[in-house]
Amino acid sequence: MSRVLQARGIVMTFRNGDEETEVLRGVDVELATGELVALVGASGSGKSTLLSILGLLLRPTAGEIEIAGQRVEGMSERARAAFRNQRLGFVFQFHHLLPDFTAMENVAFPAAAPAGGITPDMRRRALSLLDRVGLADRADFPATRLSGGQKQRVAIARALMNKPDLIIADEPTGNLDLRSAGQVLDLMGEVNREDGGTFLICTHDEHVAARCDRRIQLVDGRVQPQDEGSDHPD
Amino acid sequence: MFALKVARRYLTSNPAQTVLLVTGVALGVTVFIFITALIEGLAVRLTDEVTANSAHVSLEPATRLAEILPGDPAVRTEGVALVSTFQRRQIRAWRSTAELITRQPGISALSPQISGNAFLVKGEAVQPVSVTGLEPEGLDAITPITPNLVAGQGALGADGLLIGTQLAEDLGLTAGQPVLLRTDRGGERLLTVRGVFKTGLQSLDSRVAFLSLQTARPLFDLPEGVTNIEIKLDDPGRAREVADFLAGATGLRATPWQDKNLNLEDALEAQGRTGTLIQIFSLISIIIGVASALVLSAYRRRSEVGIMRAFGISGGFIVAVFMLQGLLIGLAGGLLGCVSGYGLCSFLASLTDAEGNAPLPIAPERGGYVAVLILTTIGAVLASAFPARSASRIDPLEAIQQ
Repeated sequence: MSRVLQARGIVMTFRNGDEETEVLRGVDVELATGELVALVGASGSGKSTLLSILGLLLRPTAGEIEIAGQRVEGMSERARAAFRNQRLGFVFQFHHLLPDFTAMENVAFPAAAPAGGITPDMRRRALSLLDRVGLADRADFPATRLSGGQKQRVAIARALMNKPDLIIADEPTGNLDLRSAGQVLDLMGEVNREDGGTFLICTHDEHVAARCDRRIQLVDGRVQPQDEGSDHPD
Repeated sequence: MFALKVARRYLTSNPAQTVLLVTGVALGVTVFIFITALIEGLAVRLTDEVTANSAHVSLEPATRLAEILPGDPAVRTEGVALVSTFQRRQIRAWRSTAELITRQPGISALSPQISGNAFLVKGEAVQPVSVTGLEPEGLDAITPITPNLVAGQGALGADGLLIGTQLAEDLGLTAGQPVLLRTDRGGERLLTVRGVFKTGLQSLDSRVAFLSLQTARPLFDLPEGVTNIEIKLDDPGRAREVADFLAGATGLRATPWQDKNLNLEDALEAQGRTGTLIQIFSLISIIIGVASALVLSAYRRRSEVGIMRAFGISGGFIVAVFMLQGLLIGLAGGLLGCVSGYGLCSFLASLTDAEGNAPLPIAPERGGYVAVLILTTIGAVLASAFPARSASRIDPLEAIQQ
């Protein structure tokens, strides 16, 4: 199985005046294509920071990152943005849909903005993704008229729009009721199984972690070897 | 263009705020147009009033200057103006000059004249007058005399004279009565007052007498030439340009009306500067209004913009979205302001007082509409530059974590 992500020796130090805080202390992460991986750890363990670094939203103090065969740490901001747009998908705890746009427009947005408009192909793909997440009949609904679970499903469809190599999800069910959370997890599982989508899901929720192929546990800024770690995040 | 669609969507998502913003811009534009139309109208009215009874360009014989021949550059040379006392200053070739002038565009009327000083004598009463000899068919070319006749008629004939009401009163004259004209050239002739006019200008009504060019010739000892050629233009504003051209083309001294009314020109320029200041302040208020609204909009949409940045949407796209909002606001407010400005100016121009005069000398057609539309649109786009730039720099991570 090919490798989608390989991060080696990731160090992240935040500086506040003279005080330095080392949040990540040499983290190594590797994800194979089609894996569904949970990133777990207690609050303050550094998992959100690691997720931001792997999502190219934050530059690490040190370390090497290779995503879909490309080294990314030396890229300019413009190149990182283009890389995020083309190769990565994001699902956040809050759906962060654009309220002035319909479900279909929200899904198509990551492709439409760089291209200068929604082409018929983009529209077809956005509608098929909405169909995939069970919201074909809501395509022309304004985002504000969707329920919380529906919004998060639209957000997943949006993350898939540009056929990313890696989808990074930060507490994707953290803001949903049990039923909606179950639907979102089912959906991510389906996309993973049927489309071979690779997911790295940051979560506090043991139920979410339990449905992943494997888990990466962070403890105090380091990856805990699986045989040493607890199955239950704090 | 997708950025335009996003910009439009942002503006229509909060119609009340957008309507307020566009109305604010439109108000600024309306003020700009009102001030422009008022100042332009005032300038037109003052110019019309000043030039209604006088020429826009006057041609007279030039002062003859001695030619300085090139010599040793080390030797200092000086030139002097040579005013001949042996030769009459006149325009001999006035017919060909007149033909040349009438071929030029924008010339509405032309009057070759013999002007000089004289006395009108009626019994023991003597009054100094400025005499203007002109072609009878061109009597009204420069100064509208016939429409202002209060007695008699405008036909000058061979011995006719037209005088103002004040002069007629000073000499106890009425239309049809004879009067002796004695010129500063020693000419003397008994003429008949054919008509009495009242222009409302004291200088004309009390000091000027009109007679025919042929009658004036022997009186002023000018059998061929004329002393001056007076010209009216379609656009008095071009007087300086036309005067420069005619001076070069004819070798005569050409004086535009502005040079005879320097105080008025200064006043108009001062008025223009005041208007420009008000226009600048109107534009500044438009720019500040648009900028502050878009700064607020950018702040309110930090999270959305942050998400776009997280998806890898370029900073250029974000800048375009906010600058297009500025463009749309500027265009909409500018167009609305042009319509309301024209409406306001037209309404004010249509108001008349009891005598049928407009109380405000406003010129609705001179509101500077194209200029204000362009300036407002550019101003609104520039005003959006700062919020656009700050929005494009929003840290996606910070926005997501909010």
